[in-house]
Amino acid sequence: MFELFTNMVKEEWRIHSTMFGSLSFALFPVMIFGIAFMGSFLVPLMRTTIPAGNLTLIIHATYLMLGIMVGGFGLLGNEVMNRRFGQASLLAYSARSLPLSEKFIFSNFVIKDTVYYFFLWVLPFGLGYILASPFTGVPLASAMLLLLTLTLSFLFGLCGVFFLSAIYARSRLALLLILLAIGIGLAGLAVITGMNPVLFFPPLLLNSAFTWVNFLVSCAVLALLFGVAIVLFNPESVGSEKTYRDSFAPLLQRFSFLPNPPFTAKDTLDLYRSGSLVGQTIFSFLLPLAVIWFFLSLLGPFFPPHGLLFLIAITTGVIASTMYTWVTMFDTFGPYACLPVAVSTLITSKLTTFAVLQAIPAVFIAAIAIFSGEAAYLIPAVVLGISVSFYAVGVMAWLCGLSPNVLVYDVKVLFVYLILIGIVLTIFTAAAFANPYYAFFAVILALPTWLLVRMAKVRWDAVDPAGF
Amino acid sequence: MTVVLEAKNLTKQYGDVTAVDNVSLAVEKGALFGLLGPNGSGKTTMIKMLTGQTRPTSGSATVLGIDVISDPVGIRDQVGIIPEQETPPSFLTAMEYLEFVAAVRKIPEIDTKADWWFDFLDFADKKNVLCKDLSRGTRQKLMFTQAFIHEPELALIDEPLINFDPIMQDLVKDFLAGYARKGKTIFISTHILEVAEEICSGFAILHKGTLLHTGPVAELTARDEHLPSFFLSLVRKDRHV
Repeated sequence: MFELFTNMVKEEWRIHSTMFGSLSFALFPVMIFGIAFMGSFLVPLMRTTIPAGNLTLIIHATYLMLGIMVGGFGLLGNEVMNRRFGQASLLAYSARSLPLSEKFIFSNFVIKDTVYYFFLWVLPFGLGYILASPFTGVPLASAMLLLLTLTLSFLFGLCGVFFLSAIYARSRLALLLILLAIGIGLAGLAVITGMNPVLFFPPLLLNSAFTWVNFLVSCAVLALLFGVAIVLFNPESVGSEKTYRDSFAPLLQRFSFLPNPPFTAKDTLDLYRSGSLVGQTIFSFLLPLAVIWFFLSLLGPFFPPHGLLFLIAITTGVIASTMYTWVTMFDTFGPYACLPVAVSTLITSKLTTFAVLQAIPAVFIAAIAIFSGEAAYLIPAVVLGISVSFYAVGVMAWLCGLSPNVLVYDVKVLFVYLILIGIVLTIFTAAAFANPYYAFFAVILALPTWLLVRMAKVRWDAVDPAGF
Repeated sequence: MTVVLEAKNLTKQYGDVTAVDNVSLAVEKGALFGLLGPNGSGKTTMIKMLTGQTRPTSGSATVLGIDVISDPVGIRDQVGIIPEQETPPSFLTAMEYLEFVAAVRKIPEIDTKADWWFDFLDFADKKNVLCKDLSRGTRQKLMFTQAFIHEPELALIDEPLINFDPIMQDLVKDFLAGYARKGKTIFISTHILEVAEEICSGFAILHKGTLLHTGPVAELTARDEHLPSFFLSLVRKDRHV
């Protein structure tokens, strides 16, 4: 049955290479490698201000977050997958025509996705670091160990969230209880040892002192999380009919002040009824940001006063911009092709829904400001985070139109995205570090955002609507 | 007679593949026109170009006097379209989808109109079911409803009877014929030749993207010839060429 797995890998490759060319897709990991390779030369510089252990912490946190953001497989409804890839008939649906169970196919699908992410992100990054090690004074053995522990970190994020999202799909109360138990456990660990529980994160322990026992225990935990998630995974039941009372008309009234009320009403129902609003908020927003906050809190002494709050605000802004992918993943242009709707209208409507969703990051940043005792900087932090989020979504809409989930793997798109976002993040992080109130200057991002959205509409109206 | 749909040298290429090659045709007001052809002959691409869903590589076309290249949204505002694949939004119910269509098309009093269609196509019991949970046949009924609910002057339908049971096929055939009799125009694409012969007033045969023939069905009837045999002889001859 290994054939199913290999064919799924081929299928994934062909989907992406058909969409924007084999070369553009193949160069994606090459670019990640290049970024890691060149970034490695900054390590000696960074070590002068931040101890090596803390740098390791940041990189592990980043990979844990990456794993968390891609691990919400339990939330994947077949329908969402179908809509995302338009009329493509995926092997994931072959349970309907082949003597294979949904669980078997789904576990192959998850492993395939994990392998893909490993080759697209984790391995190129690790290789870049390893190959740069002779020039940066980092011992080769340390670089190779880092590749191993980063892989584990990524897998912990992925399997952990896969496990939690599978539980969420079964019972929200069970998820709440498990999260509560994890919170109490971590607090207990902190009280007993007097240390930040982050330091007991298995890949970090392995990175500081490798032992085979710890390595095998880490692998066993991952296998357990993955196995339980697969067992708990609830394939969409075929033949069941869900009925709802009419909610569209009241929502249409409520959103009548917005530019495209019917579309915002539809998006709202999509998010609510698919369970994505709560699920995505937890697994693609709150959880990764909580992890980042947890890890970054250890680096407080190395930042200027209030620096941590503004760093979190900017990170929140970037992650909040991915909410655009929440609202674009439900449909291709297909369902609208029979209506008097232009692609630009749809982009406007998706951005409107995105704007409504920005209440979530605004509240999150405000809560962080209050809980970290920096309520005085609540408003500049919120302004910075939300401005960055809108700017980043403007870039995304211009580069990807209605298909950000797919086109992000086009190396040209990712390259331009990283440049445009990177410049802005650097400028505003430096400004906020210099003076917290300089964060207010982020409102000037409204101008490039407006221009980007205008350009996005013109650009995507001029081409045939994508079928994905 | 007024021409409501006119294509001139319409061509569509996807990379090296020519899906539609230099096709010219005209459809008059009140016609029930069938675009016939085997699978992969370019029928769907033709409908997509005529409804502004895809841009022609070359050539031009007007639908209800509107240019397909310069105002594709304007065309979709005026006509009714049933695409090849039925894709109503997943997480709206059938009724909510019609409300959505009504809001986009600015159709007043949707409730009464929707109820008429639910009764006519016999799916009132599915009114509050999510679109993703509907059977293919019911989705097709829903797409049929959205295409006609604003009573368009022209409807373009890709495979109108696909997914329908024989009773529903009969009902829909009668509806289409009656709609054309009211002076409105229907443009269908199909490879079910018997249906085309039964209900169409005019037809065109497309094969490998090329137009092999266009004319009235009555012309064949006058020659005591049947559409299926005429179609097969033309297509087979073209294959040999």
